[in-house]
Amino acid sequence: MKQRFTGLGVTTGVGIGKALRAQVDLDKYLKTYIPSFVEDEKEKVDKALSEVESFLFDKAEELRADGRTEQGAILEAHAMIVGDPVMRENVLSKIDATGNSPRAVLAAAEEQAKAFEEMEDEYFRARAVDFRDVGRRIARVILGVPDRDVGDEPVILCGYEIEPSVIANIKTGQIAGIILGAGSTTAHAVIIAKAQGIPAIVGAVDAARAILDEEEVLMDGDTGEIITGPTTEERAVYEKKAKKEEKQKEHYLALKDLPAVTEDGRSVILAANIGIPSDMDFAEEYGAEGVGLFRTEFLFMGRDELPTEDEQFEAYKNVAEKNGDKLTIIRTMDIGGDKPLSYLEIPKEENPFLGYRALRVSLKRKDLFLPQLKAALRASCYGKVAVMFPMIINVSEFLKAKEFVDEAKVELQAEHKDYNNDVQFGVMVETPAAAMMADSLAKYADFFSIGSNDLVQYTLAVDRSNAEIAHLYNHYHPAVLRLVQNIIKAAKTHGIPAGMCGEMASDPRAAVLLLAMGIDELSMGAPSIPIVKEQVRRVRMDEAKVLLEKAFTFEDGEEVKRYLEGQL
Amino acid sequence: MTKDTFIIENSTGIHARPASEFVKTAGKFKSKIELTAKGRTIDAKSIIMVMGLGLTKDTEVVITADGADEKTAVKELVALAHSFKTAEDKKKE
Repeated sequence: MKQRFTGLGVTTGVGIGKALRAQVDLDKYLKTYIPSFVEDEKEKVDKALSEVESFLFDKAEELRADGRTEQGAILEAHAMIVGDPVMRENVLSKIDATGNSPRAVLAAAEEQAKAFEEMEDEYFRARAVDFRDVGRRIARVILGVPDRDVGDEPVILCGYEIEPSVIANIKTGQIAGIILGAGSTTAHAVIIAKAQGIPAIVGAVDAARAILDEEEVLMDGDTGEIITGPTTEERAVYEKKAKKEEKQKEHYLALKDLPAVTEDGRSVILAANIGIPSDMDFAEEYGAEGVGLFRTEFLFMGRDELPTEDEQFEAYKNVAEKNGDKLTIIRTMDIGGDKPLSYLEIPKEENPFLGYRALRVSLKRKDLFLPQLKAALRASCYGKVAVMFPMIINVSEFLKAKEFVDEAKVELQAEHKDYNNDVQFGVMVETPAAAMMADSLAKYADFFSIGSNDLVQYTLAVDRSNAEIAHLYNHYHPAVLRLVQNIIKAAKTHGIPAGMCGEMASDPRAAVLLLAMGIDELSMGAPSIPIVKEQVRRVRMDEAKVLLEKAFTFEDGEEVKRYLEGQL
Repeated sequence: MTKDTFIIENSTGIHARPASEFVKTAGKFKSKIELTAKGRTIDAKSIIMVMGLGLTKDTEVVITADGADEKTAVKELVALAHSFKTAEDKKKE
């Protein structure tokens, strides 16, 4: 080892790679820069500002299209900072004083950054990095500094702060780790690391200063340990750790192509929940047998008007095609007063989860609902598509939604657009009312999918995000188990399939109970699929039925949970 | 001139992303729009100014708009500021 440092590990895992200093050293470019006349320098600034502004807007758009919305939003904010007249005026006044445009840009950005650093709030202090990033980007354009070539090897990004633009420029799989000098756990880099499962360490001030570009670095996101210039022994230890992690992952991935079948041959479909089309990559990686919940909210968020039929069609088609002959269940819009969108005109509500949301909005907004249904119907020519409606409490709502479907079909015919007439329409059973009335709903619906998150929240009257009562949230609560059994029973009686999407479906122990109840499909975040599959493959149906019977004898959800933990 | 007061409700305040949404919306209106908080008054159409105001949770903000579309401007911007609360805080769950 050359040096050893410690910081605070914020995401787990071992990283081995060559250091990539997040910041290009601008000093040497600045030293050789020869400014011209003041007017020319000002002109250079204007040119650089508009170039950077449009580059950032384009890049933001690109990231959004790629499903990296968070990063896209950050770069859009950067674009707006670059285009802000305040920025330009600050820079121009500094040119008047110094005559050097890149230095003026950096000084203006630094001034802004400092102002943020003096703020009390951690979130605002962390914004200093945004201004420095913007300033350096503009200065680089004026100085003609080329973009850093990263190559293909795994890199460990390090710096006191890491500019969002640096991360945006590196391929998703190439970052082996992130080391930050700053202690902020709310930095953009950390948010991204968490989302992508990249090992990350923050608060490593000395490391951030001392690590050299291209130097070999080992890091452990669990312990916060960082080693530079490792000895062969140290390297071996880390490689062993990495291998162990890899094995764990491999162990799960090895299950990828194995069927989800109990020891005695009962099979269940394990599907993925996805939020954006690119989530399909994970779904495929973990061996999902279709998509049991395709949330469509991403199409509606972060914009000023309704998404068009064509935009939606492209997204649905993309996923349907990737799924081939495996089913894709599209859930119609599930937005309410908790994420008001200007064009939806949902007023601020006291209780948005009991308010004007989801299908309740769709049924009143033909301009919203018809394009979504038409897009889904059209996508059915490219794969196996089904549609489900959220937040139903009455049979009449489902029937009304089906009337819209008929209307959508008539319009498609008139417009000579193709669709598959066999598309199935189901109920997302997530209200206690729908759960109790499942036998009625089952007469009309083509399938059920139990939305366990909302079903638990509404049944127990517990908002899990309220820390005071979060412990009361429990999908093993007998009331929940009884409702779920009622739903599945109704589906069986009427010969329609019943699935579940929601966190309960990703709990391997709950999966055993659900199997015993007769569930046909479980849909979950893709990384959970192999974990549930492993449990399914280890159990026999007679065992599962005994466990279910016993589970129903308890009067308290905590007891059920403890019992299952002891058994499985 | 139209005037209204609102309180910042979201836990992370009007930092980069909400600020850009706010400024984008403000930019849609012809009226001159200003925000006053902590004794400072700034142009609501400048993201640097809006971020620089340091609008953290519970800050009281006075919004004024002057121009043809002042009423809609104030209404929409206040509604937007309220909307940050749940959208943001929900995201953290």
